[in-house]
Amino acid sequence: MSAADAFNLAEALAHVDEDAELFLTLAEVFVEQAPVDMAATQAAVDAGDAEAVSRAAHRLKGAIMQFSAPRAYEAAKELEALGRAGTLDRAASVCGNVDRELQQLLAALRAYIESGSAA
Amino acid sequence: MSTANTDTASKAAAFSTTATVLLVDDEPVSRLSMVARLKRMGLRVLEASNGKEGLAILRRERPDLTILDWVMPEMDGPTVCEQVRQDPDIHSSQLILMTSHDQPEQIAEGLARGADDFLSKSASKQEILARVQSGLRAASLVRNIESTRDQLRIKQAELEGELQSAASYVRSLLPAAGPVAPGIHMSWTYRPSLALGGDLFNCSSWDEHSITFYILDASGHGVSPALRAASLSTFLRADNLRHYMDDSDPARMMAEANRQYPLTEDGSYFTLWIGSFDRRTGQLRYTTAGHGGALIHRQNETVEWLTHSQLPLGFESDTQYKSSAIQVTDGDRVILMSDGIYEAPASTGELWGTTRLEATLMAHRSAPLGEALPALMAEAERWNGSSVFPDDAALLGLEFRL
Repeated sequence: MSAADAFNLAEALAHVDEDAELFLTLAEVFVEQAPVDMAATQAAVDAGDAEAVSRAAHRLKGAIMQFSAPRAYEAAKELEALGRAGTLDRAASVCGNVDRELQQLLAALRAYIESGSAA
Repeated sequence: MSTANTDTASKAAAFSTTATVLLVDDEPVSRLSMVARLKRMGLRVLEASNGKEGLAILRRERPDLTILDWVMPEMDGPTVCEQVRQDPDIHSSQLILMTSHDQPEQIAEGLARGADDFLSKSASKQEILARVQSGLRAASLVRNIESTRDQLRIKQAELEGELQSAASYVRSLLPAAGPVAPGIHMSWTYRPSLALGGDLFNCSSWDEHSITFYILDASGHGVSPALRAASLSTFLRADNLRHYMDDSDPARMMAEANRQYPLTEDGSYFTLWIGSFDRRTGQLRYTTAGHGGALIHRQNETVEWLTHSQLPLGFESDTQYKSSAIQVTDGDRVILMSDGIYEAPASTGELWGTTRLEATLMAHRSAPLGEALPALMAEAERWNGSSVFPDDAALLGLEFRL
């Protein structure tokens, strides 16, 4: 699974009108914030709090949306839907998916930041 | 920079002054991205990370447009919309609510709770641009309307002031209270209508043995009839009428007034009743041009209306008026009144009417004139359900002690 798979750089850059500096900033903020949000999502799932799961997953989903990362996005979206519907029986497993995809996205973004790719 | 940037920049330049947009989103990455996009559009951008903070900034800064995320801690987007719509200071603010494209039912709820428009979080650049521009256009329109409304209110207040001023002037033309001549006591009440009208009356000595008195009604409402009424009342002053006649003959007075006050261009006219009392004979001569509000309430309690059929002033310049005459005896009261009194409507629309008026007069016959007239007015007000009549209510009473 290469870094290129986790997110689509070209699409993500197009989303910010080719502002590479802005994209770098977004990546840096995300790399710091997303692990916190992921932990909160996990905690909500563990507590069985459907509304909190929905809110936390929604927040993660909104951030992920900025990076054109469809797998991570779909996983977060699925978890949010479960939370909203109040049916948490599959929540733990879906949350695991979110975490897995998110880790890959984070790894790819860290690599991007480190490679100093500011156009 | 890509062509997309110059495209949005030129569109932003279409705003003559820089518009301000408030963005409220708790998630920092998407907020940063949207702020950058809005700034690229040439807009001034304010930010808040939750609904409560957003509402506070909205109140303080009054941005042209506010974009709100739906799900937020402290206060969510729809709740902010509700709060805004309930606050009279900011309730016309332009609000865009961000939705998830997979939840179309949000639209109905968003609208019901006060959003003006929606923006999907996954919307294309073009759609974001279009909705923001549309929102700013609407905000500008609302600002124009509110500014026009505020100017109108000021103008309205000025006009009210002028009407009040005209009303005061008309009131100043009413006679001073007290005895008008030995043995003849005058009392009056005057209730102008809400929209200024043109009813006036007066009573004065003609010479040492006669008095003349009249009541007039200028048709219409507003400043114009008030002005016209003031003009006619000046004409009817004894010192002016003496230029036209020696004898205080009401028919001659009416003929002169008729010649001097033809129908106006917009069809306005007067109704007028003139009476002349000579203490040497105890006779009251009177004539009327369309005004039916005169009666004599005798000491023996009978009520007789002093009117006959005649066109109002101004219809035909050479009208010959006839006067009628009655004998006045000690204790009789002559009362002049606006038709607004016996035509006072109840909430059902039924008019008070002359029968009820007569009954009220009779009920207060033994009270002094100064109490009987207010009592009559009070009864009409009770019927009307308010102390303000649709037309002026003027009431003049003379009591004769001969």
